[in-house]
Amino acid sequence: MVFESQKVASKYFVISAVFFGLQVVVGLLLILKYIWPDPLIGIIPFNTARAIHTNLLVVWMIFGFMGGTYYIVPEESGTELYSKKLANLQFWLLLIGGLVGVVGFLFGWTAGRPLLELPVELKWAIVVVALIFIFNVFMTMIRTKKWTAIQGMLLGGIVMLAVMWLFGIPFFKNLTLDYYYWWWVIHLWVEGAWELIAASLMAFVLLKITGVERQVIEKWLYVEVALVLITGIIGTGHHYYWIGTPGYWLWWGGIFSALEPVPIVLMVFDTLNHVRHKKLEITNRLVLYWTVGCALFHFFGAAVMGMLHTLPQVNRWTHGTQVTASHGHLAFFGAYAMLILTVIYYALPALKGLKQFNQRKGFWVFWITVSMMLTLGLAFGVAGVIQSYMQRGLGIDFLTVQGFMKPWFIAVFIAGLGFFIGVILFIIDVLQIAMKKE
Amino acid sequence: MERKTARNFFIWGTAVCTAIFIWLTIDTHTTIPKRTNTDKLTDEVVRGKRVWHKYNCNDCHTILGIGGYYSPDMTKVYSSRGENWLRIFLKNPESTDPQRRKMPNQKLSGDEIKNLITFFKWVDAIDTNEWPPKPITVAKVTGAPLEETAQILKGKNVYNQNRCDLCHRIGGQGGVIGPDLSHIGTKRDTKWLSNLIINPKSINPMTQMPAYPQLSEDEVQALASFLGGLK
Ligand code: HEM
Ligand SMILES: [Fe+2]
Repeated sequence: MVFESQKVASKYFVISAVFFGLQVVVGLLLILKYIWPDPLIGIIPFNTARAIHTNLLVVWMIFGFMGGTYYIVPEESGTELYSKKLANLQFWLLLIGGLVGVVGFLFGWTAGRPLLELPVELKWAIVVVALIFIFNVFMTMIRTKKWTAIQGMLLGGIVMLAVMWLFGIPFFKNLTLDYYYWWWVIHLWVEGAWELIAASLMAFVLLKITGVERQVIEKWLYVEVALVLITGIIGTGHHYYWIGTPGYWLWWGGIFSALEPVPIVLMVFDTLNHVRHKKLEITNRLVLYWTVGCALFHFFGAAVMGMLHTLPQVNRWTHGTQVTASHGHLAFFGAYAMLILTVIYYALPALKGLKQFNQRKGFWVFWITVSMMLTLGLAFGVAGVIQSYMQRGLGIDFLTVQGFMKPWFIAVFIAGLGFFIGVILFIIDVLQIAMKKE
Repeated sequence: MERKTARNFFIWGTAVCTAIFIWLTIDTHTTIPKRTNTDKLTDEVVRGKRVWHKYNCNDCHTILGIGGYYSPDMTKVYSSRGENWLRIFLKNPESTDPQRRKMPNQKLSGDEIKNLITFFKWVDAIDTNEWPPKPITVAKVTGAPLEETAQILKGKNVYNQNRCDLCHRIGGQGGVIGPDLSHIGTKRDTKWLSNLIINPKSINPMTQMPAYPQLSEDEVQALASFLGGLK
């Protein structure tokens, strides 16, 4: 840490960790509903719980991104934050907005669109939060003497994130158009804006821990982000095969999304390369593990598991089955959860001025969450293959097939419990580091 | 490669791909009226869509394959179940089987049910490039062995044509709204069965089963013999 105002990041990290824990609790509740008859159906039915599970995910990741951004921007720009007050205000607004959203879901206050369940009033409130955030970041960056690619990409990512969000706000009369623009939020976030943010944050961490020249790191950042957008924007078409949109999307979407793994593979190589050619002794070995682990798991969850069902010939059979859930979990964990944990394990000790800190717990968190999420995702995957084959291939009734998938749902539950232990350890670790005296 | 080359690649690549994407989006819009029959997208359909959102149905069910994977897809529900069945089901979806995954009763009003069904009807006709796909092979149903006289065969036909299987099960195939009929012949005779089919309310005034006045006397007899033979 170099600048005093970077400290606003800590509370973002703490809330990020806590909401992560809550998300996982609700996830466990969801999988139980698949396995046994649901005693809570009258209080918190599946749909409500799913809305909470996915929205908590988005909120904790946004907290993580914002915390990471507030940590990095002063250091990159060589100046204090434009306004610590705004950063604090924005923190509380987002926290309150998130909590109101979750409580609202419990009382049936919902827009009723998957992943975009927040009611329209809250969606606009989020826009206000985003504007404050962007303003604050932008005003800090323009004080810089030398614009860096990391700054530019980061700013581009958060602006794109906010702009895409707007397409999730209106009510659409036509279901096909509804989903057409729904994917402008969902897909263009995870395979667009978020990749920009993640790649910039990762570039910063690599720059700091390996000491490789900025020129080299930023060159690769440009190439990777370019490829992400070139493949990912038209790649949105892999969601336009069956929703009422024209058949040419099978070509556009199929070909471009099949190229989406290219930048992700590049990220793996370039991370390993930077680490190999490091100019500094890497003292924070835990961060090194998270960095490399993130690159590899990002590759597996997003590139491999995404690729498996992105071609229309396959997607025709797997669309709308647990195959999607399998990929969703592995990709989100590998690409974004691990990234945020990397940033937290890098930035939080630094904020406390800790040169050394006890990394034992952090390594436990690493191995437990990685192995358990791998198991969980693969179990969903097997369930999904069974479902695609029996339900779509053989035309057997939906609920009958769910019976055949049950053992794999039980596996998901068990892995989920293990994962939960890892997350609890993580929360304890974060709280302990955050509360350390400097 | 220089950093500057990389930067130009980024700027131009992104700009060109964004332009193509916007062009495809505009073209897609021009195909929407025909592919989704916007002339049939009435206010009633829109009200039905709002009901769909109001109860957050989409976080349990997929529609066009998107949403929660907890419950069956709704894209073709209109043509596979039919209006009658939907009306009855939506009024009281709770299964009597405690082991089965339950849909909670949303206490929908009659209007809401009507609008939802109109919405499903409109969705059913969207051109989805033939999704969901037709199964490659249809799994064989092995019901109880039947002595297939002409009369019984005819009854089986009546059963299939009137989609009794939407509510009832025989040998594990079929719906769960009504009782399982796999061994109905051990409990009821053909007389009782034909009375029930002609007027279900005469046997149980609370029943949700609709009457089938369109069946001829012959067909009722055939159906009753078929069912009576299920032992
Ligand atoms: C970090 C990157 C990624 C994340 C976080 C991610 C996440 C997700 C999520 C959550 C969904 C499900 C959305 C829903 O219907 O509710 C999804 C769907 C999908 N993803 Fe990804 N994804 C990523 C990258 C990729 C990549 C690189 C590919 C292709 C190579 C891909 C291919 C697909 C496909 C084909 C679907 C649609 C599945 C279907 O509904 O049939 N994803 N993704
Ligand atoms: Fe996608």
